[in-house]
Amino acid sequence: MNLLSIGISHHTASVDVRERMWLSEQEIRGALTELRDHYFSECVLVSTCNRTELYGITRRPDVDEPALKQFLIDFKGAGDAVQGDHFVGRVAGAAVNQLFRVASGVDSMVIGDIQILNQVKEAFALAKDLGAMGPVLNRLMQSALHVGKRVRTETSICEGAVSVSYAAVEMANKIFADLSKKSALLIGAGETGELTLKHLVGKGIGQVRIANRTREKAEALVASLSGAVVDFDRITEALHDVDIVITSVNSPSAILGPADLQKVMKQRSNNPLFIIDIGVPRNVNPAVKKIENIFLYDIDSLSAIVDRNLERRKAEIPKVNAIIDEESIAFFHWYNSLQVGPTIHELREAFEAIRTDEVGKNINRFTSEDRELVELVTKRIINKILHQPLTALKKGAEDGQGDNETLTRINALRELFGISRDRGALHDE
Amino acid sequence: METKAVIEILQVLLPLLYGGLVIVYALCFFGDAPVLDRVRTPLIWITLALHIFYLGARTTAFDHPPITSVFEIMTILAMCIAVAYLYLEVKTKTRNTGFFILLLAFVFQTVSSLFIKDLLTIPEYLHSLVLGFHVSAALLGYTAISLSAAYGFLYLMLYHEIKSSRLGVIYTRLPNLEALETMSHKAEVFGFFMLSIAIAIGLFWLPRVFENFSYWDPKLVGSVFIWVLYAAGLAAKRTLGWQGRKTMIISIVAFGFVFLSMTVINLYLSGFHSFH
Repeated sequence: MNLLSIGISHHTASVDVRERMWLSEQEIRGALTELRDHYFSECVLVSTCNRTELYGITRRPDVDEPALKQFLIDFKGAGDAVQGDHFVGRVAGAAVNQLFRVASGVDSMVIGDIQILNQVKEAFALAKDLGAMGPVLNRLMQSALHVGKRVRTETSICEGAVSVSYAAVEMANKIFADLSKKSALLIGAGETGELTLKHLVGKGIGQVRIANRTREKAEALVASLSGAVVDFDRITEALHDVDIVITSVNSPSAILGPADLQKVMKQRSNNPLFIIDIGVPRNVNPAVKKIENIFLYDIDSLSAIVDRNLERRKAEIPKVNAIIDEESIAFFHWYNSLQVGPTIHELREAFEAIRTDEVGKNINRFTSEDRELVELVTKRIINKILHQPLTALKKGAEDGQGDNETLTRINALRELFGISRDRGALHDE
Repeated sequence: METKAVIEILQVLLPLLYGGLVIVYALCFFGDAPVLDRVRTPLIWITLALHIFYLGARTTAFDHPPITSVFEIMTILAMCIAVAYLYLEVKTKTRNTGFFILLLAFVFQTVSSLFIKDLLTIPEYLHSLVLGFHVSAALLGYTAISLSAAYGFLYLMLYHEIKSSRLGVIYTRLPNLEALETMSHKAEVFGFFMLSIAIAIGLFWLPRVFENFSYWDPKLVGSVFIWVLYAAGLAAKRTLGWQGRKTMIISIVAFGFVFLSMTVINLYLSGFHSFH
């Protein structure tokens, strides 16, 4: 199989190297056209912020991998920052495995981040648009999407928040039934606090309020989120009627203590209050935790959730690998079934050619009565010679077991008997 | 008699089936069981079908609907809880609360199967339309407060996990706190309303039927006490602004008393609900 992949990812290169290799849609179009003209019969380029990977069916079996790497580097004009070592090249089974790993999210920077599946989908759509797709990559893409889908439904590798801000939002969803009927107050405007608020907005939180020491900053943020600004010194009053509070203030001591919040809870007739304390040092006195119907989470407890979720995701890797293995076998089974038929056909043709050639050369040495017999006997010999190997080959492909074995046999047969690869069925189609 | 044999078999089989359901739902809740996951809902349907057949068989065999003793009521109650759960499962598409709710159905069916008697003759006064209303209201009420307690229990477990930041399977698999509280509260209000009707009918009807009727009958005192508990819980929510944990505890405690009054009082103190 002439499948080749070359990729640069967070495993092999730092972000400043990776970003040099990132390709826009326009660039991908240009690169794919050139690659197809020179190296590949089918090819696709996946480029995200964490990886740029090229998959393709090479025209010839002996492909110059360094030249391909150099092509990509030159195409981006990134020779000053990127070297060939930053890329990993893979062929056949390893390349299929790599694509499936990418599609399943196990190869993502944050394990289980399955956004990548959409990016893979888009990359294949783009290649199709350019006419760079063929039967093998088409099938490979379908298999990759199938892997992604199975991983999502059969494992929990994408479950559980893996960032502090998402963990907070997930928790909000476990406390409240309908976020659109709830309101959130952000105190201070730290980065994580802002991000948490934005996630809440993304989840459809009903109302947003922001309080900050510098009012202008709050106003700027409010403008982008359509909420209201609250005076920093009137925070406790605002607490009466919000459901979620995010604090991320730079303050040496706690800005909210048990006494304040006990009063607040009375005012809000004990309605549940979820406090996300992202400040370091903490903005809310931990004693507040004891008050009924207040759910207080600080940065440490949220990080603990994230760590646990990551552990849980990691524990799912064996299940994902099993799916990848199954789908790889299925893919190669399909691929081999494509190969076996033509190989048998061509092998018979090659043998038949030798037979007719030899019989033709020597047929005059036989009497006219014997000539028919010679035809018959030589045909029989060839059939008998071919019977055992061809049956074994067919059976191996039908069983679907040892698909790599079948592939090796096909390649060996083709090489030993000099049947050219280019005449394979795939590219005659 | 053939029907009687069938009834006896089902009497043993039903607790086993409910027990099986509880185990299946527990396995699905606490772990991954894809095969069981597919069979659990059909299993409820089968159990319910057999249960309805059982109740029908009892009605024809003993010539009265099984509503004349507390243990006859309990088997209907078990079925009502299972029906209510199945309805909620189909409607809300959440199947993760099944373990906790079906556990109640299992307990009621087991108690019923252990103590139920084959009553061939029942007093004339139990052939009464008023009794029918009384029993229907009580059944709806008991089903509702059973659900309320189950959801209350789930609420408390989730509340505890979130509060203590020790997030486990409860956190992952249960619906949110607010939803659990709403379910529990709505069921409680409905249950309280139905129990009020049942008690009102009982108070109106009993003195007319029983010559030796006393307002100090243990079962009556128990029922009124339970009614007062629920009334107090609901009032506290309204007037004192009690929310969440406290109201859930009241719902569970009150249900505990309901169960006690149904079992202990009926077994050890003679009251008007034991008619024979």
